[in-house]
Amino acid sequence: MAHIPDGFLSAPVMAGTAAASVAGLAVAVHRSRRHLAEREAPVLGAATAFVFAAQMLNFPLGAGTSAHLLGGVLVGTMLGPWAAMLVLFAVVLVQALLFQDGGIGALGANTLNMAILGVGGGMLVYRWILWLAGVGFRRRVAAAALAGAGSTVIVGVAVAVELALSDTVPLAPALVAVGGGHALMGIGEGVITGAVLAMVLRARPELVASVPSPSAWARALAYAGTTGAVTLAIGAAYLASSKPDALEAAAARLGIHEIETAYLAAPFADYTAPLGGALMAAVIGVVAVFTVAWVIGRAVARRRLGA
Amino acid sequence: MPPLLAVRDLAFHYPDGTPALRGISFDVERSERVALLGSTGSGKSTLLQHLNGLLTPDAGSVTVAGFAVADDTVREVRRRVGLVFQDPNDQLFLPTLLEDVAFGPLNNGVDSHEAIHRARAILEELGLVGVESRPAHHLSGGERRLAALATVLVSRPDLLALDEPTGDLDAVSRSRLVRLLTTRPETLLTATHDLHVAAALCERGVVLHRGVVVADRPLADVLGDRELLERHGLAAPLDRSGGAPSTRPSGWRRAD
Amino acid sequence: MSFHHLDQYATVSSPVTRATPTARVLAATAIAVGTAALPLGAWEHLGILAGLVVLVAAAAHVPASLILRRLAGPFVFVLAASTGLLFLVPGTPLIHVGPFGISDAGLQRFGFVLGRASVALTAAVILVSTTSFPELVQALRQLRLPGAVTTALGLGYRLLYLLVDELERLQRAARSRNAGGGTTRRRRLLVGITAAGLARAFSRGERTHRAMLARGFVGDLPSLAPKSWDLGTALTLAVLIVVVIAITLSAHVRS
Repeated sequence: MAHIPDGFLSAPVMAGTAAASVAGLAVAVHRSRRHLAEREAPVLGAATAFVFAAQMLNFPLGAGTSAHLLGGVLVGTMLGPWAAMLVLFAVVLVQALLFQDGGIGALGANTLNMAILGVGGGMLVYRWILWLAGVGFRRRVAAAALAGAGSTVIVGVAVAVELALSDTVPLAPALVAVGGGHALMGIGEGVITGAVLAMVLRARPELVASVPSPSAWARALAYAGTTGAVTLAIGAAYLASSKPDALEAAAARLGIHEIETAYLAAPFADYTAPLGGALMAAVIGVVAVFTVAWVIGRAVARRRLGA
Repeated sequence: MPPLLAVRDLAFHYPDGTPALRGISFDVERSERVALLGSTGSGKSTLLQHLNGLLTPDAGSVTVAGFAVADDTVREVRRRVGLVFQDPNDQLFLPTLLEDVAFGPLNNGVDSHEAIHRARAILEELGLVGVESRPAHHLSGGERRLAALATVLVSRPDLLALDEPTGDLDAVSRSRLVRLLTTRPETLLTATHDLHVAAALCERGVVLHRGVVVADRPLADVLGDRELLERHGLAAPLDRSGGAPSTRPSGWRRAD
Repeated sequence: MSFHHLDQYATVSSPVTRATPTARVLAATAIAVGTAALPLGAWEHLGILAGLVVLVAAAAHVPASLILRRLAGPFVFVLAASTGLLFLVPGTPLIHVGPFGISDAGLQRFGFVLGRASVALTAAVILVSTTSFPELVQALRQLRLPGAVTTALGLGYRLLYLLVDELERLQRAARSRNAGGGTTRRRRLLVGITAAGLARAFSRGERTHRAMLARGFVGDLPSLAPKSWDLGTALTLAVLIVVVIAITLSAHVRS
């Protein structure tokens, strides 16, 4: 499950994630004010109520399984990413305090995972896809579906990493169990998000926040960024799968002499290991390239639209 | 003495283009009790929402206690007009009843302790005891309507505007509410399709039909005019004597 | 869909329920965080904090049956999650369960994580058993949480009840139309209900907004002045926090 209970994270991870989520929320508060002025406060209440109610619904998948909706990306498409972060935070907060769904001490981590990274990452994917493909009806729905799936995967990976950094579970099994589980849940999240958005777009299109269509510049940057990121990802996969000696040799050539490399199959000895791992570096690299390209592209688009 | 409420040539159309109000004019003097009659779709709710600036007309004007309703006067107008919506759930939106009732005074700058004091006073006045810490969904339908009324009365408005105050209430709750309203000192403008309620509460009737005022007369006249009632979709109530209710039906004593 | 947790709380009067809600939230948070932050293996410290929680529960006059009942659900989940640890922690295996080995280290970790989780959970359960939702929102406001968040919660509460009502009505209607339908049909109907629920939630939000404007709302949700702190509560809370910090820190210093 997405919510981490108390007792599974170490003190440093609790503190670090708390600090990160406070920072993220501060940004969200600041940026949502601009967008919300037209829609007004009760809209947040309505969205919070909806996420609560929706998270309790059981969507049958067949063969006795069912999926649940996290709702972050869905709310994000309606209210924009920043307001959605605040809404998901409100939900996570009440779930921890009143339902014991997620620990109080783990609030920092759960907020970071579900409200900040899940929503932020998911909306990044949403906007990214729309920039690449345009904002037609079907693209929106597809983008939302992929974003929903992506956000769930992000949450899963984050949980796994936090558990590993806390020395509670080694990274590899955590990624497989938690990350894998979330990847499966992501399918449900994606499908439901897309389906619901499609219905809302048809019945009440005015509820869905508009996404400014990207300028030619922004589109070019999106393509470039995607290409670069894909290349890096392939490279990282290659690196991670190659023999340990090759890895060490490459590291030595790059001038990194003593890194404790992470092998996908072996658990970590202590928590400083992942930070030096090539896999980690690759993941960070991909994220960094996406982020940089997105920031640049966004700035360019804004100038173009005169916003 | 200028009228408390003056509506002049009010015109408004819905977003989809259909006209809702097509030139409405009438006055309401202080202490008057006016029934706004009309079938569904006649524009009653839309008209009421113009009285406190929730809707802006395409043409015409609304003046409340000398203030012409406009962007800069809206604050003052809303202090003087207490609008009770058709669905009491619309105006009971906070976790406890006390917060709901104190909301109005707090927004008007009353300090917290005084707001609580006033809220408690009006709840007691309306007979709602022991419920101030409860959320609205813990109340019965009748109690909820009283609570919605409380949220508005607490600010002592000059004009009390009610949109279908007795809606889906059972007979007992309805007569309890009506009896209460007859004791209130505020000027009253109540939209209703229930002629019995109108008869018990008001002495004047303004009949709306498709966005126009088709009659503005003493209520007794309106209720006695069978043909008028039928022509404008105000089903004349079933009555053994075959006539419309008089202005003082038995069972509802009007406090004089 | 049951939201009874949001409304049921011990109506007993006790030093804990009489304390201002903010104090209760801070106390629960301190204990939960302090416990969760204990380093692996600090069994004595965990024991002291467990004792502290029992003391607070006693002071709260909350019936033990209520606490245990509320604890049951989340505890089962934590138990299941900790069980995973049994098998995933490396070390020389002591017992073999099928192809998997349980190491001594795994057993220790399992026990400690479970212990940590349970004590923290109990603190949270005591909080929810002594604090109503409106009080919780008040406390969050006093703790200077972003206004947008406390407003969302304050308004969301009623909107949630109204929404659940509507969703149940929609579900009932769909069920009567769908008698005998398969999974796909059910899922499609559920998606429709969700979308309708979303639209209605926003409509209700609109209507709430109009009602708020009609009563003078101009942008910031006003709030009633929070209950004042009495000296006793402040002192007790301060002592509690200091004790928890001391215990947790000493556990870290030792390891």
